[in-house]
Amino acid sequence: MKKHKIEVMIPREDIKRKVRELGELIEKDIKDSDNEVICVGLLKGSAIFMADLVQRIDHPVKMDFMSVSSYGSSMETSGVVKIIKDVDEDVEGKDIVIIEDIIDSGLTLNYVKKFLLSKGAASVKICTLLDKPYRRKAEVFVDYVGFEIPNEFVVGYGIDYAEFYRNLPYIGKVTLLD
Amino acid sequence: MSKKPWDKGISRKMYTEEQIAQRVKELGAQITEDFKDKEEDLIIVCLLKGSIMFMADICREIKLPIKMDFMSVSSYGDDLESSREVKIVKDLDEKIMGKHVIVVEDIIDSGLTLKKVLKLLGSRSPASVSLCTLLNKEVRREADVEVQYIGFDIEDEFVLGYGLDFKQEYRNIPYVAVMGSLD
Repeated sequence: MKKHKIEVMIPREDIKRKVRELGELIEKDIKDSDNEVICVGLLKGSAIFMADLVQRIDHPVKMDFMSVSSYGSSMETSGVVKIIKDVDEDVEGKDIVIIEDIIDSGLTLNYVKKFLLSKGAASVKICTLLDKPYRRKAEVFVDYVGFEIPNEFVVGYGIDYAEFYRNLPYIGKVTLLD
Repeated sequence: MSKKPWDKGISRKMYTEEQIAQRVKELGAQITEDFKDKEEDLIIVCLLKGSIMFMADICREIKLPIKMDFMSVSSYGDDLESSREVKIVKDLDEKIMGKHVIVVEDIIDSGLTLKKVLKLLGSRSPASVSLCTLLNKEVRREADVEVQYIGFDIEDEFVLGYGLDFKQEYRNIPYVAVMGSLD
């Protein structure tokens, strides 16, 4: 890790309020569907958002996790997607909501969405806490967005810097020093 | 108030969101205290999927630099639980050699699978391995596991919510409930 400092960008309370809103939105959209709903979290970054969000959906949903690699310890997206862990559940005929911590290039999401549709999912929606839309390299429709953020280096609430800071309860802005 | 779709599966609340949050805060403070002077990295390991809620909450209450990692295991083979084998569906991403590891569990009952996971992790030469569980069903224990951090000791009741499931459902209830009749 380079020398750096971290300032609060989105406080815990603001995240909490936003997560509640997103949960209610998703609940409204799924409650009349006859299909089973599976929320799929992408490890590791979305683990905290996933845990908080599904508890704010007042409707039965199943939870599943995928682990794909595209980020190394570096800050840039490589665009190469490898599935390290697939979903455990059979997604055929199910409504899927992919839960992401942050979307920038959209390359990973694009791949995962197509992958789940190819396995027969009835629908695949995407929910992200943070969005950097001007960083997009792939065309992905994002159904639920928490916060649109400027092109800053962020950590916390699941997002890491060299695997650290995931456990910060807020979103912090990292400034590299020197 | 309209009836919730899952009301039928629940007989009563066991621990509310507030009670869980309070206890998680205490456990997090205790872990922070126990590890604050250690020089080696601390890695918190979550066993999917049940522990995800507890993992997310307790990590935020540990006021130290930590890494988070996830493991998914399934047991297979014999019907007799004690002779079943453990298969790793997803291994840790991190190397734990020389690191302190805390395994986070939603509930420990027989401890049989967990014992095998601990043995596996122990074989990778970590500095230490500790165990932290939200719920502990001592009465069901069959394997000898030492649990350093316990949220709540509970009786032998079937519990749901806060990550705990019945056939993959009910995990997203924000409190711990006792399962009722499904009729």
